[in-house]
Amino acid sequence: MTEISQHAPAIGGAEHHSFIAHAGRYWMQGGAILIIVAVLAIFAILSPLFLTLGNVGNVLQQTAVIGILSFGLTLVLMGGGVHSLTGGIDLSIAANMGLCAAVYAILLRQGCFFGTAVLGALLTGAALGLLNAVAVVRLRIMPLLATLTTMNIAIGLEMVVTQNAPVPATGALLDLLISAGPLTIPWLSWGFALVALVFIVLTHFTRFGLRLQAVGGHSLAARAAGLAVYRYVALSYVLCGLCAGIAALASVAVLSGSSPGSNDNLLMVIAAALLGVVFSRRLVPTIGGTLISGLFLSLIANGFQLIAISSYWINGVEGALILLVVSLTAQLRRRQQRRKIHV
Amino acid sequence: MCKRPWAKAMESNSPLLTLDNVSKAFDGVPALRGVSLTLQAGNIHGLIGHNGAGKSTLINILGGIYPADGGEVRLAGEKVIIGSPRAARALGIEIVHQDRLLAPTLTVAEALLLGDEPRFTGLPLLHRGRMRCEAQQAVFTHFGMTLDPDRLIAELSVAEQQVVQITRALRRSPRILVFDEPTAALASHEAMSLFSAIQALRRRGLAILYVSHYLNEITELCQQVTVLRDGRDVARHEVSQIHVQQLITAMVGQEQKAGVARQPQPAGETLLQLSNLSAPGRFQGVSFSARRGEIIGITGLLGSGGKSLLRALFGLENDLSGALTLNGRAFLPRSPRDAVARGIAFVPEDRRVNGIALDLSVRENIVLTILGALTRRGIIDRRRERELVKKNIDALQIRSPGIEAPVRQLSGGNQQKVVLAKWLNTGAALYLLDEPTVGVDIAAKAEIYLELARLAANGALVIIFSTDLLELQTITDRILVLARGKLVKTLDTRTADHHEILAWATGAGDQPTPAREPLPLGVSMT
Repeated sequence: MTEISQHAPAIGGAEHHSFIAHAGRYWMQGGAILIIVAVLAIFAILSPLFLTLGNVGNVLQQTAVIGILSFGLTLVLMGGGVHSLTGGIDLSIAANMGLCAAVYAILLRQGCFFGTAVLGALLTGAALGLLNAVAVVRLRIMPLLATLTTMNIAIGLEMVVTQNAPVPATGALLDLLISAGPLTIPWLSWGFALVALVFIVLTHFTRFGLRLQAVGGHSLAARAAGLAVYRYVALSYVLCGLCAGIAALASVAVLSGSSPGSNDNLLMVIAAALLGVVFSRRLVPTIGGTLISGLFLSLIANGFQLIAISSYWINGVEGALILLVVSLTAQLRRRQQRRKIHV
Repeated sequence: MCKRPWAKAMESNSPLLTLDNVSKAFDGVPALRGVSLTLQAGNIHGLIGHNGAGKSTLINILGGIYPADGGEVRLAGEKVIIGSPRAARALGIEIVHQDRLLAPTLTVAEALLLGDEPRFTGLPLLHRGRMRCEAQQAVFTHFGMTLDPDRLIAELSVAEQQVVQITRALRRSPRILVFDEPTAALASHEAMSLFSAIQALRRRGLAILYVSHYLNEITELCQQVTVLRDGRDVARHEVSQIHVQQLITAMVGQEQKAGVARQPQPAGETLLQLSNLSAPGRFQGVSFSARRGEIIGITGLLGSGGKSLLRALFGLENDLSGALTLNGRAFLPRSPRDAVARGIAFVPEDRRVNGIALDLSVRENIVLTILGALTRRGIIDRRRERELVKKNIDALQIRSPGIEAPVRQLSGGNQQKVVLAKWLNTGAALYLLDEPTVGVDIAAKAEIYLELARLAANGALVIIFSTDLLELQTITDRILVLARGKLVKTLDTRTADHHEILAWATGAGDQPTPAREPLPLGVSMT
């Protein structure tokens, strides 16, 4: 703040910055949509299977796990602000999901009532989220570092409870989720759509969502508006952990049990949440944007499979996309910022 | 909208808010030493004071950011305690912050209603339609203008952001409204419409505290004015009965004798020449030239562009236009690297952020800028290094437990001397210093001044940005005063006094001398 007030603006003008920022945003958004359309078109041409209903349903199902995880991460990014070092991030989310899946599968294997098992998974996720919240809000550890350590805790715990082996699981809920529902689309995909809807409502149509965004946008201003800033940040981490629990339900259904290596999803989750920024007028993470980019990433992975390109390429493509989008949006924001300081 | 809790206070014309002998210290350093202030409903009360006089502390106490240490605050005659921003709000006190505290990623409607968002009855869901409607209505009621409630704060002009912020404050029907430097970022026509809005608020019966650097705003807008100096209220006046010059006198206080004023120096060749140097939004059309051997002071209030001008010379400001010649060669500083390469040294204001590595030793900090010269075949010549550091420590009288002591252990003044030493060795031709003695004790100040004089005597040009009037008078040859981005006056230090500097900086410099009851300069109002 002192930085801003010290160079406090003297005279009017500098509208061109805002113009550049606008034009930049439209270019980026237009470009992103063009790229998506182009990529999908290429896949559709190269593989006749790509756009069939069956394949799309398949992709939706594959996206469920990644998608729900990235919704959670989106909340954390919303409340933590956009600063790439001190802003909000939850690196533990994929590992957390692995732990939740293990807990869920083990409880089911031991013959627990499925409601108890579901509750166990959700509570596990929320508990780790709470740990993140305490580390970030109370202990004031940089989120990047705090959640890196909880990521290791989650991985370690998962190994302890599963002996690093797959845990097969069966149950009525699992069978239902992967069975076909209306429009021959699996119930899992419908569930995913429902979760997406709930989160869109939560972020866009509740006080909590608006205030979380206000906190991430300018925490000092939020505090001046009388909001308990830290409570919102803490809650975003807990909800993110809860998302890991929900995603675990989907993951166990898809894989018929828990299996090691869920942390491999991390990059894709982060990519989905960060790429989503492109679709927001405000250049902030949104559930809708995250949903679109999550689907896009799944479609790429699926397309690679269909045209028989090694899926090893996926990581590289995702990494490059993240780098591109994050640097672009940072650039645009800096322009906006400069305008704010110097007008 | 129609309940007017302040109606009673307004009728009786009794004070609505009274501060009585309020004091506040930070870590034992007093910021307010007993300030009394009275606000009346339907009145605009101006609050002025030079940098560090205690204005922001006073505002923050009113806003509940931190509590007062001593004294009393009474609201409509009753003693109150403002323990938090929420408490301030509940008492009907709203602050319009200078920094425009609004999240850039929110829309106008969201930013306006944040914390008090309308919902569907019986549902936990935001009523976005009503939010838009209420926001638009509120802006229209208070400013008679329409502002698209869906626009993002980031897309608004500064003036529009100001409108949003004031409307936000007014929606809570405050009794007392505090404006903190509201025009610092506004163009003049925007400021005019802000003034008429504030006047309208006054007529509606609000008590308004208006804090500003600009004295003409005070005389134009306010009915009363209180002057703060060194944490005390040193003067209180009806604006109609006072002239700007008197206000300046009160701000400056007893003319401090600038005892060791600098002797006129034989001027060297011209080193630096600026013509029409501009940085959009910060300063415009600045021209001056300076010679070797000179010490030039740049001064100006917050937002004047003075600080930016100094930074621009070191390549720290972007979008420069105009022309600059250094040593006869054209050069527009694009980056600090550029500037260093041409023999410019810069001592930034906040040494902890920009000037020094606190955990490195005195020796390491001092040689950081000249490691190249001390190195032979990639190896640092330790003996030469130590000799040089010892020489610096002697010259500047740096008091340190030893040359290997981490700078963190030194006092503020001695840390600043280390920063200075670090740049002295570079043998620069142009030294730029930003507030070189903030937080530095008197003894260290004197040593720093001596060293600056020595630098100039050795043929360097020294330019300092300072808001310390005494400092400017003690060590400079000339003082460039900036206001609102323009170089408004160049003063000869030998003939200028604090009044004149402050008058130009506050935009009152070109006012005619007082017609009624002229006051001899130098007479204090206290």
